[in-house]
Amino acid sequence: MSYLLPLMLKEEFRLHSSYSSRRMFLAFPVIVALFSFAIAMTSQRLLEATPLPDAILFLHLSAFLYGLGVGAFGFLGAQYLERRHGHRNYLVAMPSLLPMSFRRTFLGMYVRDAVFYMALVLAPMVAGLAASVPFTGFRLTSIGFLFLAALISFLVGMSLSFFVSTVYMRSRVAFAGLVAGISVAFAAAGVFRVLPVEAILPGLSMHYGLPPFATPGAAALAGGMAGAGLIALCVAGALLLVPEQYEPRSVPVAEDELPGVDARLGIVRGYRVLLAKELVDLRRSGTIPKMFFSFVTPLLFLSFTAWFVRNGLRAPVGFNSVFYGAMVGFFGVLLYNWLNNVDAMDYYATLPVDVPRVIRTKLLAFLALTTGISTAFVVGVSALNGDLRLLWLALPVMFVTSVYMVVMTAYLTGLRTNSFLFDPGVLARFSVLAILPDLGLTILSFTVDRTPVFTISGIALVLTAMAAATALLYRGIDAKWARHDFAE
Amino acid sequence: MKAIEARGLVKRYESVTALGGVDLDVDAGDFFGLFGPNGAGKTTLLRILTGQLAPTAGRANVLGIDPARDPLNVKAAIGIVPEVESPPSYLTASEYLYFVGRVRGVPDLPKAIDRWVTFFDLNEGRGTICRDLSKGTRQKLMLAAAFIHEPSLLFLDEPFINLDPIYQRKLKDFLLEYRDSGRTVFMCSHLLEIAEKLCDRVAVIDGGRIIATGSLAEVKRGERDLEAAFLRLVGERR
Repeated sequence: MSYLLPLMLKEEFRLHSSYSSRRMFLAFPVIVALFSFAIAMTSQRLLEATPLPDAILFLHLSAFLYGLGVGAFGFLGAQYLERRHGHRNYLVAMPSLLPMSFRRTFLGMYVRDAVFYMALVLAPMVAGLAASVPFTGFRLTSIGFLFLAALISFLVGMSLSFFVSTVYMRSRVAFAGLVAGISVAFAAAGVFRVLPVEAILPGLSMHYGLPPFATPGAAALAGGMAGAGLIALCVAGALLLVPEQYEPRSVPVAEDELPGVDARLGIVRGYRVLLAKELVDLRRSGTIPKMFFSFVTPLLFLSFTAWFVRNGLRAPVGFNSVFYGAMVGFFGVLLYNWLNNVDAMDYYATLPVDVPRVIRTKLLAFLALTTGISTAFVVGVSALNGDLRLLWLALPVMFVTSVYMVVMTAYLTGLRTNSFLFDPGVLARFSVLAILPDLGLTILSFTVDRTPVFTISGIALVLTAMAAATALLYRGIDAKWARHDFAE
Repeated sequence: MKAIEARGLVKRYESVTALGGVDLDVDAGDFFGLFGPNGAGKTTLLRILTGQLAPTAGRANVLGIDPARDPLNVKAAIGIVPEVESPPSYLTASEYLYFVGRVRGVPDLPKAIDRWVTFFDLNEGRGTICRDLSKGTRQKLMLAAAFIHEPSLLFLDEPFINLDPIYQRKLKDFLLEYRDSGRTVFMCSHLLEIAEKLCDRVAVIDGGRIIATGSLAEVKRGERDLEAAFLRLVGERR
């Protein structure tokens, strides 16, 4: 491990730097630190609206969810081993050729990402808080405790995700059972309140046992120990389940489908066969269920949050159909990212097809896949909330926001969404272009009953601006991406 | 008539100069071989000529088209077999040929697919997606995809790699017939023994520069075979 870990860290650093540039990549933690500093400087006002225990709960949930996203090596590792990344290969695949074990390289991946993301996000976040000490008077020991506790929540998420994804490599049934069990635990804490959240998030439990909540003592120690134990248990379990001989699953195909799908897509003329290939790829690669869950999960989470704010906190916030329409459009960007991760695209380089044409094909695939689900969700939530009267407004909001978000993402990131969103320059532009109109729509949606004429005029104005921006960005795809190649 | 013309092609990647000013002429109807040690710039030159990569300086002309300015038209006119066999993972072999044929607008596509499926015996992989095919079968598929529209110029990067001796022989015979019908082949390869039997004009590239070019006899300069000539030419520079 002593020689493997530095090599893996170098590999990860070079991979991320290759997405933009070394300098841009190194700017990422600086931006995180500045952001954290800004939050600290405004914390007085923030804490007036959100009590400290709730803010800490939010921090730990975020760290845990971030860890969950990072640690799915059973899926990611399998993808590294299975999918040929253009001309790329990774150290994790080396046991196929060298006398090394997959267990060792998977452990290497775990430690690598724990170190990497701690350095990329958690440490800069803490540095930003520490920099605010002369102005805010925060105690350095409290910041240190916050770092430790957040690190435990992050590692618990990462380890749990690592374990669950390796269970998936062995048995789909066991995986489904495990996910159901974890969901029940979280529902018991979050929805039914029969369990305190800190009972399932040891980092949070540790934090609540530390200043400024309590004097450090047995409770904090128990939380820390429970967290460390859970992390060790999940990692050990995951390593036990990593298969030593990796055999990619073959995908049997009964018959050639492409000509039939192509024949049915006459409506998209020049993009017919490209779109047909996308749809066949998506189905055979098993990406559609993954896309479905990654779209529906945040929507359900959003619905739950709205329900909780309305019924749990009894806060008078008017989450209506228009709000959901805007949010559904916003989350559509997750699906565009999936469309770019189905397969390597090197073979396009040998064909008379350029990058903008393939980007447009992905946009068509996005519309084909999401329009129905998004509409169904907005109609369903409106019906459940007894808010069908605003559907006539919510549906155009959803549609315009979806198309704007996906075209804007395609314009900024081309065929490498995941990679370019690590480029701080791209991320900053994306954030401004995504958040401003969505914030406008969200705020307007809250006032629709009080000032209907003003609100509807405002929404119409925002939608017109978004539609105009969509047209400009769509046309700009050619100029921006025509000279790019397909190799990753 | 020139099929390929390159003048002063330079390609730099940050501090590395992959091509340091390449001049090259390939006549229509030539079977042209480009040879060089690893990292000499063969694939970079091929990628520039086929519109996959823009040069840092210099210009090229392929079938009367500038590949840097009009890469799509160059790719439409030629056939390319890349260095790494990489058909799309989730299509079957005949689906990939259908896809390529549709993108290229091949007339009577079912007949064309049938011809190349039969030629390379790709029926064996029917019902199997490309990801699950053997390397050799994937290479045969990339060859079939490059030939399906019957282009007048072929760019082949290591076309014999991964093929068994039977298909090496079949491919050699096909390429010679193809050349004899007046069309042009531009091939990069390390397999000098095979290349010597196929090429009528060759060039040797080293360190991003052409160090020898001409007919096979001119480049061999009395050496017993191409391998000996290659070792002399490249060895002199080491």
